[in-house]
Amino acid sequence: MAREQRTERSSFRRYFPPKRKVCRFCQRNVRDIDYKNVDILKRYILERGKISPRRVSGTCSYHQRRLSTAIKRARILALLPFLED
Amino acid sequence: MTQYETAFLISPNLEEEEIEKVISQMAEVVKKKGKLINEDRWGKKRLAYPIQKFEEAFYVFFLYEADPTIPFELERRFKQTEAILRYLTIKKETKEKVKKKEKDVPKEEESLPASEEIPTKGEDVGGDVEEEAVEKKEEDEEAEADEKEEAVEEEEKVDEEASLPEEKEKEED
Repeated sequence: MAREQRTERSSFRRYFPPKRKVCRFCQRNVRDIDYKNVDILKRYILERGKISPRRVSGTCSYHQRRLSTAIKRARILALLPFLED
Repeated sequence: MTQYETAFLISPNLEEEEIEKVISQMAEVVKKKGKLINEDRWGKKRLAYPIQKFEEAFYVFFLYEADPTIPFELERRFKQTEAILRYLTIKKETKEKVKKKEKDVPKEEESLPASEEIPTKGEDVGGDVEEEAVEKKEEDEEAEADEKEEAVEEEEKVDEEASLPEEKEKEED
């Protein structure tokens, strides 16, 4: 059983390799992420207002750190919600 | 001298003159010992959540260069003034610091392929296969990684043609 699963998966992977995600901030050579730029920050929060994880958004760890502080700052100023119903 | 940015929200039930008065008072505090570089007003804006039962507030941003005592003085004033709903002071990063950190970026890009292996929720293509795979993933990971590298090199064309993962990428936007 285990063997079957493995072959199945690897063959699946072989024909549909996951698309490589690239950090959008690195692509555009953005250095700082401003907490006032709500339009950009909104793309990186989920429906409930959570910060989207790196594995979903594909952000690199450097920019993820910047992003999370920016989002947290924006939340203090009520630009972004802490949680959304 | 450090650059600071202070943002504060003024209660919406004040008259325009009063708002003006509060802003000029705060600007004076900064100007006394520092240099006010930029004053930005967004005007009345809807809040993401109610603060003190107000649904909107008047946003003001100060960008200034001053000694560290000034932000403290400003915040002390903010606390005394009832019309201020919220305030936030941040230190602007100097260029030297930023340059150092920029070196980190290439390293991060190297680590990206690792994150690529983690399956995402929204991947509707291989939902079933993925779920089973997650349990086995930790054991298989090392072996898988080798296989995958080969696969990626061999079938880069397939990668481009596989349109489904691309659609998923757009949805996340």
